[in-house]
Amino acid sequence: MSQPILQAESVIKNFRLGKEEISVLKGVDLSLQSGEMLALLGTSGAGKSTLLHVLGLLDPPSKGRILYEGQEVQNLPAQQRARLRHQKIGFVFQFYHLIPELSALQNVKLGSMMDISLGAWWKRRGELDARARELLQLVGLEHRLRHRPAELSGGERQRVAIARALIANPKLILADEPTGNLDSHTADDVLELLFRINQERGISFLLVTHNEELAARCHRIVRLKDGVVIGEELPAQTGASQES
Amino acid sequence: MYRYFLALRYLINRPINLLGTIGIMLGVWSLIVVVSIFSGYLGAVEEHLRSSTADLSVIEPPETIPFEILQRAIEADENVLACSPRLLWYGLLHPFGARVKSEVIGQTGAVVSETNFVSVIGIDPELDRRVTGFHGWLTEVIDEEMRVANPDRPLDDRADLPSMVISTSRMQREAASIGDRIRLTTGQSSGSRQSESLNFINATFALSGSFSSSYAGFDSLNVFVHIDRMREMLKSPAGSTNEIAIKLLDPDKAEETALRLTNTLKVLDPRMRFTSVRTWKQSNFIQLSSIEHQRSLMQLVLFVIMIVAAFLMYTTLSMMVTEKTGDIGILTAMGGSPLGVSSVFLACGLVIALVGSVLGVVTGCLSSIYLDDFNQWLKASFEIDLFPTRIYNLKSVPYSLDPLWMLIVSAIALMVGLVVSGLPAWRAARLDPLQSLRRD
Repeated sequence: MSQPILQAESVIKNFRLGKEEISVLKGVDLSLQSGEMLALLGTSGAGKSTLLHVLGLLDPPSKGRILYEGQEVQNLPAQQRARLRHQKIGFVFQFYHLIPELSALQNVKLGSMMDISLGAWWKRRGELDARARELLQLVGLEHRLRHRPAELSGGERQRVAIARALIANPKLILADEPTGNLDSHTADDVLELLFRINQERGISFLLVTHNEELAARCHRIVRLKDGVVIGEELPAQTGASQES
Repeated sequence: MYRYFLALRYLINRPINLLGTIGIMLGVWSLIVVVSIFSGYLGAVEEHLRSSTADLSVIEPPETIPFEILQRAIEADENVLACSPRLLWYGLLHPFGARVKSEVIGQTGAVVSETNFVSVIGIDPELDRRVTGFHGWLTEVIDEEMRVANPDRPLDDRADLPSMVISTSRMQREAASIGDRIRLTTGQSSGSRQSESLNFINATFALSGSFSSSYAGFDSLNVFVHIDRMREMLKSPAGSTNEIAIKLLDPDKAEETALRLTNTLKVLDPRMRFTSVRTWKQSNFIQLSSIEHQRSLMQLVLFVIMIVAAFLMYTTLSMMVTEKTGDIGILTAMGGSPLGVSSVFLACGLVIALVGSVLGVVTGCLSSIYLDDFNQWLKASFEIDLFPTRIYNLKSVPYSLDPLWMLIVSAIALMVGLVVSGLPAWRAARLDPLQSLRRD
């Protein structure tokens, strides 16, 4: 078996609320293989989003280890964590988080500008522009390039966010309730797109959701409850769940 | 790259940033325009004072040494072109000419108040011609009826009376004509210090014409008579003088020449109790430093505008950081470091300050250059005079643009921009990206 692209070992995350310390993650172990599509399933308050933020290096764990391709990363300096996020991870959020002042094309291009100097960008601007257009074409928005987020529907905004997540050629996409804000029809379209990208490009996905149907379409399901992984299952082997 | 791109987009798409830009622009504009007018005015006054004052003046030369000896010693200096004796006294002019007494000063062109108490300058026109601009001031007079008949001999006696030359403005105010009699009352102390008494002297002169030095302040206070007639009036010995005007070959070396001449005069009169050699700047020190002081004060006051602009800029940038909390979160998720994210806002501040400064410098220069035209237009169209040039005896609104000052003002504006955008930028860097991502 090849080395996992992402591993979490005994991850604990505590938050301080006034004088009280609240434990949100209580020793989570998780691994994600290259090209795998994993659903992180749990009810509201289970700690799904917190785990996604910790795995995405947006929030350091209180204890435990995070490994990307075998390399321990939780203690890296802020600058290196930022670089790692840019180079290896793409994010898709429930509320899209597009920059309202930018057009769809500019929002996607912005992703290619994060780790590049002005001079280097100027030399490669044609290539980067073509890539952003290609990705917007991939998500079916080639006709909406110049539109700003306010002029796009929810589904279109999420497609732009997906294209933006792909621009830096990440190996992993962390998606936090990517269809949570969409109607069922649009949600199906967006999911189809995510599965297609997973299949065609071999990009690993960690999908945070509380939608059982969506989770059932993934390669593997990890269930989280009260900050603890309570089980893993392979959707094809329904009933063969493994209580931890 | 993203920080420049985003900063530019934020600036273009947020018209409220214009407030900060306009604020900085106004600050820079006012600092350039007002200081350029003050500098121009100072330059004009300097020029006027320069034209009415000799390069160097020996004040109270040694009484015991005849002028001819002093002249030889002074003119022996390598930087002295010529010198001329002067006898300065004071006196009261009695009303003369055909002026109606109730006429209000200030509405007929003689704006600068002219008192009847004047400084009477006794000169030798022939010698003075080589030293001061007096000869030129006589020929400057446009109105033939007020011009001296012979500018080469302006103070020759007229009908057995000694001649007096007064300023053109005084002559206009008094509605006087050449040949009018002018009575002067002056006084002279006599006796010892313990029993000093004042003797009044009354003298009558004939008006031989007028002069115009282009410096109203000088014109309003001085009248000219021949030095020999002054000596007779004051019963001073022949050759007596209480000031020597000196013309230099190189006026820029006035100070070192003054020092040399002081030493020369010390050799002639080792006591030299009251004698001093002054440059034209020293002679007009109070006037020049008063304008200079006003200019500095004005600079200080105008910097307050810059502070107001800084607050304006801070407010708009701070608002932007608050509004852009969500963007900060996603930028962090995409790989933006706290430093990189903060530099987006820093770049915004710098661009605002830079654009404001450039616009301020450009509009400031244009305003200074065309202020006189604008003033003329206002005067012609609405009878509004922003800068009444007659008060200052100037032909146009003066200005002097100093590139160094413009550079200093721009640098200060940029520094202000950097400082006031630093705080919101720092706040942006410290924002928790997760909180901003959760906001929605």
